[in-house]
Amino acid sequence: MQSTRVAILGVDVGGTFTDAVLLDGGRVRTAKVPTAERQEESVVAAARAVGAKTVERFAHGTTTATNALLERRGARTAYVGNAGFEHLLHLRRQTRAQLYRLCAQHPEPLVPLERCHGVRGRLGPGGELEPLGEIPDVGDVDAVAVCLLFSFRDPSHERTVAAELRRRHPGVHVVASHEVAPEFREYERASTTAADAYLAPVTARYLGALAEAARAAGLPEPLVMLSSGGVASVAEAAAHPATILVSGPAAGVVGAGIVARRAGYADAIAFDMGGTSTDVCLLPGGRAARVAERDLGGLPIRLPTVDLHTVGAGGGSLVRVDAGGAIRVGPESAGAHPGPACYGAGGGATVTDANLLLGRLPAELPGGLVLDRDAAAAALGGVDPAAVIDVVNAEMLRALRVVSVERGHDPRDFALVAFGGAGPLHACALAEDLGIGHVLVPEAAGVLSALGLVASERRRDRVESHVRRSRRSPCCRARARPISATGGSRSSSPSRCSPISPLRSTARTRSGTGTRTTRARSSSSPFAPPTSSPGLTCPCEAHPGTWYRGVSIWTGPPSGSPRAGAGRRTTTARWC
Amino acid sequence: MNVELQVIGSSLRAIAEEMGAVLVRSAFSANIKERRDCSTALFDEGGRMVVQAEHIPVHLGAMPDAVAAVMTLPGEQWILNDPYTGGTHLPDVTVVSRTALGYAVSRAHHADVGGMEPASLPAFSRELYQEGLVIPPTPLTDEVVSLFVANARNPDERRGDLRAQIAAHRLAAARVDELCARRGRDRVAAAMDELYAYSERMVRAAIERLPDGTRSAEDVVEAVDGELTIRATVTVDGDEIHIDFAGTDPQDAHNLNCPLAVTKSACYFVVRCLTEPDLPASGGAFAPVRVTAPEGCLVNARRPAAVVAGNTETSSRIVDVVFAAFGEYAQGQGTMNNVALGNDRFTYYETIGGGQGACADADGPSAVHVTMSNTLITPVEALELAYPIRVEAWALRERSGGAGAHRGGDGVVRELRVLEDCRLSVLAERRARGPRGAAGGDGGAPGRTLVNGEERAAKLTAALRAGDLLRIETPGGGGFGAATPPAR
Repeated sequence: MQSTRVAILGVDVGGTFTDAVLLDGGRVRTAKVPTAERQEESVVAAARAVGAKTVERFAHGTTTATNALLERRGARTAYVGNAGFEHLLHLRRQTRAQLYRLCAQHPEPLVPLERCHGVRGRLGPGGELEPLGEIPDVGDVDAVAVCLLFSFRDPSHERTVAAELRRRHPGVHVVASHEVAPEFREYERASTTAADAYLAPVTARYLGALAEAARAAGLPEPLVMLSSGGVASVAEAAAHPATILVSGPAAGVVGAGIVARRAGYADAIAFDMGGTSTDVCLLPGGRAARVAERDLGGLPIRLPTVDLHTVGAGGGSLVRVDAGGAIRVGPESAGAHPGPACYGAGGGATVTDANLLLGRLPAELPGGLVLDRDAAAAALGGVDPAAVIDVVNAEMLRALRVVSVERGHDPRDFALVAFGGAGPLHACALAEDLGIGHVLVPEAAGVLSALGLVASERRRDRVESHVRRSRRSPCCRARARPISATGGSRSSSPSRCSPISPLRSTARTRSGTGTRTTRARSSSSPFAPPTSSPGLTCPCEAHPGTWYRGVSIWTGPPSGSPRAGAGRRTTTARWC
Repeated sequence: MNVELQVIGSSLRAIAEEMGAVLVRSAFSANIKERRDCSTALFDEGGRMVVQAEHIPVHLGAMPDAVAAVMTLPGEQWILNDPYTGGTHLPDVTVVSRTALGYAVSRAHHADVGGMEPASLPAFSRELYQEGLVIPPTPLTDEVVSLFVANARNPDERRGDLRAQIAAHRLAAARVDELCARRGRDRVAAAMDELYAYSERMVRAAIERLPDGTRSAEDVVEAVDGELTIRATVTVDGDEIHIDFAGTDPQDAHNLNCPLAVTKSACYFVVRCLTEPDLPASGGAFAPVRVTAPEGCLVNARRPAAVVAGNTETSSRIVDVVFAAFGEYAQGQGTMNNVALGNDRFTYYETIGGGQGACADADGPSAVHVTMSNTLITPVEALELAYPIRVEAWALRERSGGAGAHRGGDGVVRELRVLEDCRLSVLAERRARGPRGAAGGDGGAPGRTLVNGEERAAKLTAALRAGDLLRIETPGGGGFGAATPPAR
């Protein structure tokens, strides 16, 4: 399909290193450079290091938005909700942060109370209850998030509010919830919208600088990796930065999928064990499973995201023995400085030290770092290094089971793709425990995310909630067997369930933006949701007596793009 | 701790958590699906709780009694809700089933189990029989299911929720089978023993660090006929704790009574907070704690005393009293603000969060469930789509938390307008007196219940007409330490 002369560049910015992969005339070249303070400079440096000259396509994974969220470096943001509901971001869902620590606080909301405003006017489930009132003064801010009740069904009030705010404050970034996540359940939608607005100015600044730097270096405009595992234009990503919060890890998952498919394995599990944390993701059919919502820094982000399960343990995780005599690993990490004890810089005992003592690491790392065995042994004290590995592997096993067994998949049918600094060290033991017969360690294990960028496809996610009473559904009567017969919510297949078809047509009618969609190719399509998402079930089995929620996700290149028509897919996903 | 056993232990925890996920995802009612008012746990062959998924604290201590109640009965799967044999209050329906090794337990709050008021939370019940159908430990058969749903106002929803529980139990059975097949039944049994023993060791070590001695504290609940006193005496002796309720008032003529199982849950909660808050839940954590109370008192009621508010309201106050006996403690809202609405076409139940009391080193969080509950609020959009109710306000009750060196958390305001004629029940506390501050901190604002703008009592049952407005203002938490005067 593609000419072998086409050069494709992928650059992934991480916390410590920026990785580049160049696919040029069928050859793959890789490079690693230290990440600089200004990320765009390291991107260009990495591109130069890998020898990128005439590049046709340039894809990029970034942590700018994620870091800005976690470090709270986003814009001065205001929030506009319905009058009487203006504190929504501060009320959350009323659960406490920790069950048995009474004063543990949730992370502070992105918008402080004094910048939360209410507007009169109300939509209900059946339409307008009260006409829209006067739009409040949002004061001196850089961004505004607007989230009104039932806007997922009728965005008219939100549209008016957003338009008026844009008119009043031309320089201010205004996001309405229906533009970013037109989904049911107001708190999760508001939280997503607030994050989107909060991150927009800083992300737009970075992506603008990057596009400028790329142009100066003779590179094409970058495509940005989305949390959902596809790429979007700089303009799209800058408009809704909440969609790129898992950009880097998503690229790794895509890379793992490529490795698995190339090696001839249809189904794989990506296992990315880094220094401080580990990400696992199921890849049925070689493509990432997706979820509709993910928590980031304690804030729900309700957008399609590769179904990564993250564990707070990695190679650099510190090891200790608690009062009950149990070995605990993580979540504290030795980081890169001082690093594990064996780096000789005064660090504590880590998983890496245990691996060294077990003879699983060479005396000298490829970078020239000489590992200090005695320091490792001293730091671990009397703790058996094999026991440390067993404990950390138990954590990893739990994560692998969460994404496989708990989602109704038998891990024995999957290949384990191990990458990240520590992934390959642990993969075989984990595979044995799970009954997995094949472990793939890619040659580019260190730069797999950048490889994923090279191979990524254009993607646009659109999500809608449709809430119906399912007792009206003919499907329910036809399939009125007890839930217990299927062991709850996991073994049924929505592809056989009739109400999905009308829902699809609803979705098509409502698109209206020129993004035509097509039906899923078949139930065995790699994107078919039945095997790829937690809790997927026929709605009538989930809630025979009450309402249910359906969400359509469809993807494909934006209309008018040169590649329109390629890779267009429709899926109907996630019922609960 | 043996590493293999630690690994099996995390598998057992995963099973309990997965049971909870199945129950929440496949339930019908908003109370389980949106609010997650349910808990799941695994027990060993001896009826000891080995792991519990982290859901609702009030279910914690009461589950072992449920298993003890069915162990001698024939059958493989049982149902119960009798507060005097293994239950808490009637809406909490418990299913227990045999697994290849021990028992699986699920407890879910059903939005209606019959009785004198829709949603089965009558404010003025005087005996258990008025609160709904009483199910003693009984083998769970199709006939029992029919009997149960026939006694509830929303039979379809009840059947669906119960089936969701059964689905969770099928999952537990399959998962325990798999685990025993992989690891060997003996090793799994050994891991169960070790999990229990490990929690016990951890908690004993933590109790050892608490100062020995005996201290008492008391507080009141706002009963229909006047205030009733709860008095607790806590004795820390080496690595054991004894909590005694001698001096507590006799049982309430209405429904603030607790069966001892609920009282134990509240005591265990406090010990958990003070010792090892991050420890995975297991019965071993409570082995060093002994709870006693005179029979026939408010916190150890005798059948057939009514109990519906004991589980939510009195349990919250027991927590306050026991915490106070351990040391300086700023009180949180101390109520769950139970609201039940219903007629013959719908029943809706929710509990509403409020202010947490401040701690010695931190402000109290606002708008959270304090102590014995941790259920979610139903989203406005979910509520309005499913019920003839309109939410008119859902906001922080600003400045309701007590001032202090550390501020108490703020309560919330919630307004519900009913769109059909229906019955309302509100079971709440801290309407007359607000939560107390500690160490010189101010108290939090007391809560308020208003119907069409008119302030009502803490316990309320009333007929509402379509268009009537209920407003709940929940209490703020107490402050901790004297507030520093503003600098001049």
